[in-house]
Amino acid sequence: MLFIDWHRLLFFFLWITPHVLLGVLAVVLCKRRLYRELPCFFAYVLYEIAEFILLFTLYVVPNVAGEHYKYAYGATLLLSIVLRFGVIDEVSKNLFRESPFLKVSARRSLQCVTGLLIAIGVLLAAYAPGDSSAKWYAGVFVVNRGAAMVQCGLLLALLLFSSFLGLSWRRPAFGIALGLGVLTSADLAMFALRGAFTSEAALRFLDLLMTGTYLVCISIWIGYLLTPELEPASVTVVPRDEVETWNREFQQFLKQ
Amino acid sequence: MVSPAMSAAWILVGVAFCALGILLYVAIRSRTRRVDLEKAVQTFRSLDIEAFRNLVDAAEEAFLRNNLPPRKFREIKRQRAWAALMYAWEAGRAATALAKIGQAAQRNSDPKIAASGVQVAESAFRLRLQTIAACLRLLTEVLLPDLESRPVPPLVDQYERAAETLFRLSRFSSGLPGFVRSKSA
Repeated sequence: MLFIDWHRLLFFFLWITPHVLLGVLAVVLCKRRLYRELPCFFAYVLYEIAEFILLFTLYVVPNVAGEHYKYAYGATLLLSIVLRFGVIDEVSKNLFRESPFLKVSARRSLQCVTGLLIAIGVLLAAYAPGDSSAKWYAGVFVVNRGAAMVQCGLLLALLLFSSFLGLSWRRPAFGIALGLGVLTSADLAMFALRGAFTSEAALRFLDLLMTGTYLVCISIWIGYLLTPELEPASVTVVPRDEVETWNREFQQFLKQ
Repeated sequence: MVSPAMSAAWILVGVAFCALGILLYVAIRSRTRRVDLEKAVQTFRSLDIEAFRNLVDAAEEAFLRNNLPPRKFREIKRQRAWAALMYAWEAGRAATALAKIGQAAQRNSDPKIAASGVQVAESAFRLRLQTIAACLRLLTEVLLPDLESRPVPPLVDQYERAAETLFRLSRFSSGLPGFVRSKSA
C-alpha cells in the first residue's frame, strides 16, 4: 500500500505554491508597468522568489547540513525584513503623493509612530525574549517578531490615518498594504508562539500556518493588482459666470 | 502556573488578532461604504461658524467668569465647551468627506475643477487635523473647566478657508446649485 505523508505533501504545496504565484505577480507587475510606480515592491517580489530557490535547493540537496540551511534562512529573513520596511515606505509615499501638506505633516507623524513602535519592539525583545535555547537562531526570530510588530503597527497606522483623513488609496497600493498587514500580523502571532511552544509537532503546525498565511497574502496582492482601478467620483462641470462668482467671493470677504 | 514568556506570547497573539481584525474591517469597509458626498456638504454648510466662534470666545468667557458664581461658571463652561466640541467633531467628519470630494475633483479633466479640488483637499486635510487638536483642547476644558482657555483662531480660519474653497468649487459645477455632483462615490 502506498503510504502518503500528508503533512509533508501539504508542507511542500504551501511552500511552493505561493512562490509560483509570486512569479505570476512579477509578470503582472511587469505587464501593467507597475514596477515603475512600485520599484521596491517589485524588488521584494523578485527577492522572495530568489530566496525560495536558494532555500528550497538547500532543503532538498542531501549533502547540505541543517545548520547551513538555518544560517541561510536567518540571513535571508533579515534582508526580507529590511525590504518590507522599504515596501511600507513606498506605499506611504504613494498614499501622500497628491498632497504637499500631507507629504510633510503625515510623514512626520508616521516617523513618530515608527519611533514609538521601535521602542516597544526593543522593550519586547528585552523583556519577552522567548526561546533562548537555540541561541542565534532564536535571536533572529526575536528580531523578526519585533520587526513584525513595528511593520504591522505602521501599516495599521497608515490605513487608519487614511480612513481618518478621507485619503483615497490607489488599488495596487491598498492591496499591498492590506496583504503585508495580514502577513506581518500573522508573523507576529506565529513568532510569538514559536518562542512559547518548542515541541516538534507545534513547530510543524506553525510552519504550515505561516506558509498558509503567505499564500493568502500573495492571493490578496494578485487580486488587488488584477482588479481594475475604481472609477473616481466624477465631477461634471459646466463653468458658470466666473466674474459673478468672484464678485460674491469678494462680497463675502468684505462682510467678515 | 503560566510562565511570563507564555503570557507574553499570548498577549502578542491577541495583539496580532486585533490588528488582523482592524485590517479586515478597513478592507471590507473600503469596499462597501460609500460616503454620501452631497449630504456631507450639506452638513458642513449647516455648521454655524458664528455660534462656534461665540462658544470659544475668550472675552465672553471672561465676562461669565467675572459675573457668575464659580460653581455656576464651571457648569456653564462645561456646557459651552461640550457644545463647541460637538461643532469641532462635526466639522472634522465633514472635512473627511470634503477631502474625498477634493480628491475626486483633482482627477477631473477640467483644469479649473482640478485646481479647486487640490485646494479643497488640502484645506480639508488641514481642517481635519485642526479639529482633532481642537477636540482635545475642548475635552480638557470639559474636564477641567477652571483652566483659562485661549481663543482658537486657526480652527475658525481653516473652517472658513475650506468653506470658501468649497463654495468656489461648487460655483463651477453644474446640476444642483452649490454642489459638486458625484456620479459614483
